Amino acid sequence: IATLKEKLIVPVAEEEATVQNNKITVVSVGQVGMAYAISILGKSLTDEFAFVDVLEDKLKGEMMDPQHGSLFLQTLKIVADKDYSVTASYKIVVVTAGVLQQEGERRLNLLQKKWDILTYVTWKISGLLKHHVIGSGCNPDSARFHCLMAEKFGIHPSSCHGRILGEHSDSSVAVWIGMNVTGFSLQELNPEIGTDNDSENWKEVHKMVVESAYEVIKLNGYTHWVIGLSVAGLIESMLKNLSRIHLVSSMVKGMYGIENEVFLSLPYILNARGLTSVINQKLKDDEVAQFKKSTDTPWDIQKDLKDL
Amino acid sequence: MSTVKEQLIEKLIEDDKDSQCKITIVGTGAVGMACAISILLKDLADELALVDVALDKLKGEMMDLQHGSLFFSTSKITSGKDYSVSANSRIVIVTAGARQQEGETRLALVQRNVAIMKSIIPAIVHYSPDCKILVVSNPVDILTYIVWKISGLPVTRVIGSGCNLDSARFRYLIGEKLGVHPTSCHGWIIGEHGDSSVPLWSGVNVAGVALKTLDPKLGTDSDKEHWKNIHKQVIQSAYEIIKLKGYTSWAIGLSVMDLVGSILKNLRRVHPVSTMVKGLYGIKEELFLSIPCVLGRNGVSDVVKINLNSEEEALFKKSAETLWNIQKDLIF
Repeated sequence: IATLKEKLIVPVAEEEATVQNNKITVVSVGQVGMAYAISILGKSLTDEFAFVDVLEDKLKGEMMDPQHGSLFLQTLKIVADKDYSVTASYKIVVVTAGVLQQEGERRLNLLQKKWDILTYVTWKISGLLKHHVIGSGCNPDSARFHCLMAEKFGIHPSSCHGRILGEHSDSSVAVWIGMNVTGFSLQELNPEIGTDNDSENWKEVHKMVVESAYEVIKLNGYTHWVIGLSVAGLIESMLKNLSRIHLVSSMVKGMYGIENEVFLSLPYILNARGLTSVINQKLKDDEVAQFKKSTDTPWDIQKDLKDL
Repeated sequence: MSTVKEQLIEKLIEDDKDSQCKITIVGTGAVGMACAISILLKDLADELALVDVALDKLKGEMMDLQHGSLFFSTSKITSGKDYSVSANSRIVIVTAGARQQEGETRLALVQRNVAIMKSIIPAIVHYSPDCKILVVSNPVDILTYIVWKISGLPVTRVIGSGCNLDSARFRYLIGEKLGVHPTSCHGWIIGEHGDSSVPLWSGVNVAGVALKTLDPKLGTDSDKEHWKNIHKQVIQSAYEIIKLKGYTSWAIGLSVMDLVGSILKNLRRVHPVSTMVKGLYGIKEELFLSIPCVLGRNGVSDVVKINLNSEEEALFKKSAETLWNIQKDLIF
């Protein structure tokens, strides 16, 4: 006897073995992983989304919840498993696993949350090409910087331009000459910008980028929305082959006289091939020095890592 | 010496401080924040205000969202414990309330949440007398009635998120069974958002083909394909997710976003939301239950008077009875 489905629906095309896909995985369903997941689902970027985690109950719950919202989404297949086989043939895997930073713990003390080093470790372990392993790096720092610039000017963050390079957060480098609104470099208007002589104290704005994340952690226990949204933006550039420029973390050995295999943030072009090109910066001598210096700390830790 | 801003930007007219499309969310727990991020991702508001009593969490969540403002088009995000921050809202979403505990029925939550509503609603109405209030806190049907009574607003402007989510879950599960996207599967669940909700099997259809014409036993106990289990799953889903991860958030956040979109943009889409049903289907008491409502900029502008068969009507009345048994003893 035919089932109701068989009575209702008649197939007219053969089942295809494989179909072009845009599948994305997130590893770990913590606050950051879920913020990223909802940003991806909300922007309809993928046709299949997989969650992977070791906590099986939470994993299942976090899979079922968005599944129940499928009416409002355009991602038909949402799956989860603690076994990585669920992610077979996935285009992009986002790793958010790691121990949450505790209040007061400066990022340097917490290896597992040290994104640039983690990106290096991921690259080494995976054996993937270096342009296929990308650290979210200074992407959230830059987003925060845009937001703080915007507040100071009273305009939307997307109309403010500013780049933060180097190590994610504590010793990141603000490139003052590049800060601009409609192409107008702020440094031309205020040559002291970012220095200690700056009467407007823009250096404080850069400091705020670093401090604000700590403040949110102190108030709320964690940050998640900024990272989630900013990573979704990176994924969008890759999936839609946009070739947009993002401040993400990649291997910088050979650039600016750097000799060690460290991952730091520079403006890179992201598209369907991954991270394909870097934008040549005209950095001032002290900015180059700062940039090189920010390789010291990660390398100090990386060189002692075993089992890579 | 002029600042960089003064050198760069010349002001022509004063900023208009009043938002056109402000939404306030009361409660920054998992549900409130899921509503917030869904609304922000869909660019529905030009201003978002968050209100809560847990001040640190409130500020932390606000800052985290503000830092993400590069990625969306809601230029003003504020927060506060004082309801003055909610002034001039088009919609106020109420998610505040005690959280449903594992195994606790929605009805058991009631009296706990009545006190909370009494402390919230008068301030909301004071600061946004023209707003629509969307109640999400559980048990949503009874709480929407209470919010309506306390607010003094016209009944069309107090809406419970009700069975919008149940129906979404229903359509998702039907879609899974048929291999079709939920938007192409049509099915309605009305009545209580909860254990006594009523699935309208006669209306379940794909491309206008009523599934019941293909299988007259659909949804009954003698149905070999056990479609009735789908409705059971809808009722159980909240309990199951709460057991697995502690609470539900994402689906309700998306459901609320769906309702907000219809209201703010005056879409006049039909949603199963909780509204006053006295006078319908033989119901004599002042009860709020979900029925198909037309949602537009003034809230519920019309209701769709579906013909319930005798079984569906009996279940709907039973749903009403279940709620009335709790509501009649409420002290507020």
